[in-house]
Amino acid sequence: MNEELYPSIFSQFKGEEGELITILLRVQEAIGYISQEAVKRISQFLKISENQIYGVASFFSRFRFDEPGKISIKVCMGTACHVHGGSLLADAVGWDLGITYGQATPDKRFDFQRANCLGSCTLAPVVQINDKIQGRVLVTELKETMKHREEF
Amino acid sequence: MNPETAPVNVTIDNRSITAAVGTSILQVARENDIYIPTLCFHESLSPHGGCRMCIVEVEGLRTFPTACTTPIDEGMIIRTHTAQIQEMRTEILQLFLSEHTASCLVCGEKVECREYMSTVRKAGVTTGCRYCPKDGQCELQAVTESLDVNEIIYPIYYRGINVETGDPFYDRDYNLCILCGRCVRMCQEVRLADVLAYKHRGRKTIIGPAFSRTHLDSGCEFCGACVSVCPTGTLREKARAWEGKPEREETTTCSFCGVGCQVKLLVKEDRIIGSLPADDPLVNQGQLCVKGRFCNTELVNGHQRVKNPYRHEGAISWDVSWNEAFALIAEKLQASSPDRVGMLVSPNLCTEDLYIAQKFMRVALASHHVDTTARLFYGAGFNAYLGLMKRAVPLAAIQNASVVLMIGLDTRFSRSVVGVALRTAMKKGIEIVTLNPREHTISLKANLWLQPGIGTEFRYVDMLAQLTRGAEVPADGISQVEREKLEQTARMLSGSSNPVILVGAEYLQYDSSRELLESVAQLADNIGAGIMPLPAQNNLYGSLLAGSYPELLPGMRSTGDDAQRKLLEAVWGTSLSNLIDSWTAASLVACDTPLQFLYAVGEVPPPMSAPADFMVFQNMYPPEPYGSADLVLPSAAATEVDGTFINGERRMQRVRRAVVPLGNALPDWEILCRLGRFMGATGFEFSRPEEIREEIARAVPEFTQENIDARTPMPFVLETDMREFTNDATAHHAAERAQTDSAPPFLFHASVIEHTHRGFPLSAWVDGAKLLFPEGTLTVNVEDAKALQLTEGDVVRVSGASFERTWPVRLASTQPRGTLHASLLETASSHPNPQPVAVRKADV
Repeated sequence: MNEELYPSIFSQFKGEEGELITILLRVQEAIGYISQEAVKRISQFLKISENQIYGVASFFSRFRFDEPGKISIKVCMGTACHVHGGSLLADAVGWDLGITYGQATPDKRFDFQRANCLGSCTLAPVVQINDKIQGRVLVTELKETMKHREEF
Repeated sequence: MNPETAPVNVTIDNRSITAAVGTSILQVARENDIYIPTLCFHESLSPHGGCRMCIVEVEGLRTFPTACTTPIDEGMIIRTHTAQIQEMRTEILQLFLSEHTASCLVCGEKVECREYMSTVRKAGVTTGCRYCPKDGQCELQAVTESLDVNEIIYPIYYRGINVETGDPFYDRDYNLCILCGRCVRMCQEVRLADVLAYKHRGRKTIIGPAFSRTHLDSGCEFCGACVSVCPTGTLREKARAWEGKPEREETTTCSFCGVGCQVKLLVKEDRIIGSLPADDPLVNQGQLCVKGRFCNTELVNGHQRVKNPYRHEGAISWDVSWNEAFALIAEKLQASSPDRVGMLVSPNLCTEDLYIAQKFMRVALASHHVDTTARLFYGAGFNAYLGLMKRAVPLAAIQNASVVLMIGLDTRFSRSVVGVALRTAMKKGIEIVTLNPREHTISLKANLWLQPGIGTEFRYVDMLAQLTRGAEVPADGISQVEREKLEQTARMLSGSSNPVILVGAEYLQYDSSRELLESVAQLADNIGAGIMPLPAQNNLYGSLLAGSYPELLPGMRSTGDDAQRKLLEAVWGTSLSNLIDSWTAASLVACDTPLQFLYAVGEVPPPMSAPADFMVFQNMYPPEPYGSADLVLPSAAATEVDGTFINGERRMQRVRRAVVPLGNALPDWEILCRLGRFMGATGFEFSRPEEIREEIARAVPEFTQENIDARTPMPFVLETDMREFTNDATAHHAAERAQTDSAPPFLFHASVIEHTHRGFPLSAWVDGAKLLFPEGTLTVNVEDAKALQLTEGDVVRVSGASFERTWPVRLASTQPRGTLHASLLETASSHPNPQPVAVRKADV
């Protein structure tokens, strides 16, 4: 862990309670999640207890508390995708990786999330692998894609 | 009349009521005996409006406001029990119940089943399901009954959360939680401890500390305030869970430290089942620490308590009667000479007990050999500490201060009420500087945290004393950052009004304790500060006043003081011994001549260089494994006696008897009086503590019943210098340190356990205390442990210049790197403290 990270983030703030959420966002941008270390550092900076920080952060689904996997797979569960069988796609990915959404594989290679809308409703159902969006995905297609997952 | 303060007229349920402006509808209704159901409301917390049970109808308002959060307004017409509101309440309550898995609340059989609960059968028969410890005391149950809800129309949502039982003293079953938020508000608003918070959201919302940590790992003080306000069975005391409703209450003074909180003991069937804070405006303001709240009950109810006098010889022991015990003591005493007997009394006992103990020694045995273990606890800093006690200011001084300096004080598990007062004051803008090498509960929020290295605390205080005098201080050995913080502190203290210095017990066993305490006094002189010494012993002042020291007579006068001797000889009707030698409790540790007779009253003697020929051990618990005795006498606990404690502010406070002594136990004063009479001595004809108090008042004019009832602080008249317990090791420590300074692998520092009662560590007899303050472990920094490849529980051998010992390891991130800490029962000043040591894994 880069020792300079937290001081450089905190240097942009005054240390007031109201800055908590912005700081949490910056931290998550930098390291991908809110670690226990991060909560402790923020607590010392803002002089708020770690428990309160966690209480605030856990309210928002945006923040995650476990290290994300390197390859991100997102299955959209927005209205249009849901109607077109998004949950079947989610099941397929889940079976394949042996995890459920919101988790990363134990080797931290794959990260599986559900998205509430990826903004490509005309292409529903949609799956996003890293930055690439695939539309009108069939379960069989997705299974085929997942066979080559090591090359993502 | 000012329209802003004019009373307001409202109508509630067709009754015209006049109330002060700003009052909430709920408050007005309660004051006028109008029942409005509530679940999340609690008098000592801010209104929350979360449970929606208290909704009322206000004419002219489109919605139904919650009575707890709506202030009254002129001319309001309020209805609390219309059919519409009752229906809505029933609806809301059913939503609660659909997540609250106690079907007993709505069970169709709940009335019939009560009749058959006492059925005795050979086969298993349901005789009433009682699976919630709050049954009969549950507020949800009460509201359910008041709304007469007998069915739940919503599908049951069982959360299936595991019951959290890993923490000491209380369990948590969040399946029963209704998210009223009382515990969160208590923790955040009143205790300001910020341990509990709402986590997640929606129906996954749960209360607890960060991540999935235990309360122990999250800075929880285990004050139990959250447990007290929980309306359901979610938070339950382990020890009291199934005790049911108390029959009566008794207010008394807590016996665990010098703060002297007022506690409310809950009694059922002549047994203490719980202890809650009393709402006392002078000392604890309705707060307690873990010791007063939880340890008290377990300590006085321990099944190992001594119930009968017993004789112990070799490997066997047998019960004896009181008279046999007295006869044996009398026989042994007649064979002993007055200069070879000794008595060790505990500063945890009531002033009356302490007075009778020294009177027994001085009158019945004609010896001044009576001492307390406080001398060993304070070591070389005893006189300096008593000097601070002389200047003690009341606890209320914190609220008038602009700056508070805390020295070696951690308020997590002891003196927590002071911590609450500090945090409350901080909210009002008081600045707090804490001086402590270790991270502690206040260090996060304090304005400044001075972090001296272990063993250099006295230099920091000394530098502050010099800086506030305006002297230039050389900056040797202290980092630039720390130096700037010191200078800032000095500026803050110099420019402050009514500053207060709080002195904890953390460095009192260091070799430098005298220097530290003297510097504190100097610093206080420079800045005109009040001092709060907060002694670890609940009746240290009482022990001085009662004359429980060889060099002190009752009234805090020297044993050689002719006027006081004459006064006491007149009161006691006897002549005092002229044999005044240098015997103290320290002689037990250092002197090689064994005593012929040692009487330990409520105290466990330190490891003795020469054990006494015959030892009497009078205590609540048996001496093993902390010592051994030839005769053990059962004495009553602090909840079973009547007496007086005098706290660190020197305030006299009553101890009230809540229950009768266990088994054949007797109060300490009564045992000693009966023994005195048995031996034919005069002046022991007391039958009640009031009579002892009257006699003490003849020697100490201020000790009157009126002053005790008014809880007046006593004057401090001690002028005698007490003999201090120093050791050769202390004198040589500087030389030794110089020799090993080259590359000290680890700096070892020890302190005497302050969480003790009557000589025993609380962890000996209280289960939960084993986790909170374990004795006989070595605290190692987490990072250091990684480097040494140590894990929790590993046994390590610590070797220093003068000792070698093995301890199991306990990991802590708060322990500064490169240092090791142990809490010891015996006095730590028998070694240089702190001292460099080597550490390695023991070969096991």
